[in-house]
Amino acid sequence: MLTVLSTQRAREPAPGEHALRMRGVDFSYCSAPDGSRSLYSGFDLAIEQGSVVALMGASGSGKSTLGKMMARIIGPTAGRIEWSPQFSRRADVVYMDQHPMNSIFPWQTVRGNLEYPLEKLQWNEEESRARVSYLASLFRLDTVLDSLPAQISGGELQRLALARCLSWRPGLVILDEPFSALDRDVKANIGHALHELATKDGMTVVLITHNVSDALAIGMRYVIIGDRPVRIISDLEFKSPHPRQRGAVDYDTMEKALIACIRDGLV
Amino acid sequence: MQRLARPLRKPTRVLAPMALLLGIWAAVAGLGLVDSIVLPAPWSVARAVAGIFRDRMVVDVALTLGRVFAALAIAGAVGIPLGLFLGYRKRWYQMVEGPLHALRSIPASALFPLFLIIAGVGETSIVALAAYPSLLVILVNTVTGAALANKRRLYQAKLFELSAYETITEILFYEALPNIFDGIRTAASYSMVLVIAVEMFVGLGEHGLGRAIYEYQATYRIPEAYAAVMLAGTIGILLNLGVNTAQNRMLRWLPNAHE
Repeated sequence: MLTVLSTQRAREPAPGEHALRMRGVDFSYCSAPDGSRSLYSGFDLAIEQGSVVALMGASGSGKSTLGKMMARIIGPTAGRIEWSPQFSRRADVVYMDQHPMNSIFPWQTVRGNLEYPLEKLQWNEEESRARVSYLASLFRLDTVLDSLPAQISGGELQRLALARCLSWRPGLVILDEPFSALDRDVKANIGHALHELATKDGMTVVLITHNVSDALAIGMRYVIIGDRPVRIISDLEFKSPHPRQRGAVDYDTMEKALIACIRDGLV
Repeated sequence: MQRLARPLRKPTRVLAPMALLLGIWAAVAGLGLVDSIVLPAPWSVARAVAGIFRDRMVVDVALTLGRVFAALAIAGAVGIPLGLFLGYRKRWYQMVEGPLHALRSIPASALFPLFLIIAGVGETSIVALAAYPSLLVILVNTVTGAALANKRRLYQAKLFELSAYETITEILFYEALPNIFDGIRTAASYSMVLVIAVEMFVGLGEHGLGRAIYEYQATYRIPEAYAAVMLAGTIGILLNLGVNTAQNRMLRWLPNAHE
């Protein structure tokens, strides 16, 4: 069941098939004239539409920077970042911050937070109400719908941020460590919910994480980055179906493969 | 940015020092250490409180508070929207920042002759004088609050392609709200000080809290003068308490720094 592709993708997706394509991307935080401090230099990556990609690497490897470039929150110093031509609205590509408080409005209730994006994107009231109650039950927020974000737990807050950024069915969601405040049981459930939603709505998901079990819980393709300037250490695809059972033979194999790759990328 | 402590929840901590001061005052007056013209005894001041209300004070307080609230309303109505707008268009703020701080460093009371020339002797100039520094302080606080808005949260404005108006009213206003309240609190005390000072020394008409204090003092009704001063202090405390209550209610959503 385990398929390990070579460090380059075996097949380049045809144009129009990909949600995102990065070509020759350069990026550096400090502008050294010789470019020796550049974080990214000539970086290429293509992400197929409808895929669930885990973007992995050790802490400080440049994962969040890559995620923010994908969402055009920060611009590359050189190179191109192309979105699928199907993404007609700015909101079709969304980046969810590591800190859930940054992705929600603390002055609105949980319900208000879920309704806000739908209102802005002109959903009608009926559809919006149905969507909010669906998301609330999927992400187990029904009991706190009328609470303020400051009154709910860290796990609930993270689920709210996640539910909110998936609410309007964006084409591409980039989730930066979305499970860090969840305990293991909840994580499995939410991972499952995310998977269900991504498949149902045909979303492309990029999951940024350094946590191997989080990545294995929902991913299909695993892009591991590391080194300076950043390069793709490995690009793997595991066909093992979801939900995956921890302790199963192929799970251990996948886990070991990912850990080894992340270690290879340490600077 | 944490929630304000509510002083009324710990009454002993607030009242004990006051009781001590009152005790010292009573002792000094009772033992006759100071001439009662300079410092009347607390009981004669207490008796005077009832007297000043019978005498004139209801109209005085109403008039003074009316002037203070009018000044605050003008300052808020201009300062908050303008501050949010300048916080949104930071380049514009950079252009006006220098003149704004120059204006802020001129004592407002020094400008009163100018206000009299421009607006004439009357309600307009007294309210305008109190509104002026209040507006500046609310404006500067609002701009600061809007400029300190969470950048990552502002990403949502880009994401949903919000208009300037939507960004300001739906995001920046809330982000700036804690600072806006700080501005209002300072503005309330500025307005109070200026209105009373003008009433005392310029004397617009026969009424106003400042006028009452001045007249009691000029006619040597010293316990009444003390009572009126203490009333002014009490009104100041109540104004502050009012702002705090509004702040606690409107910022219920603020994530508590201690949690």
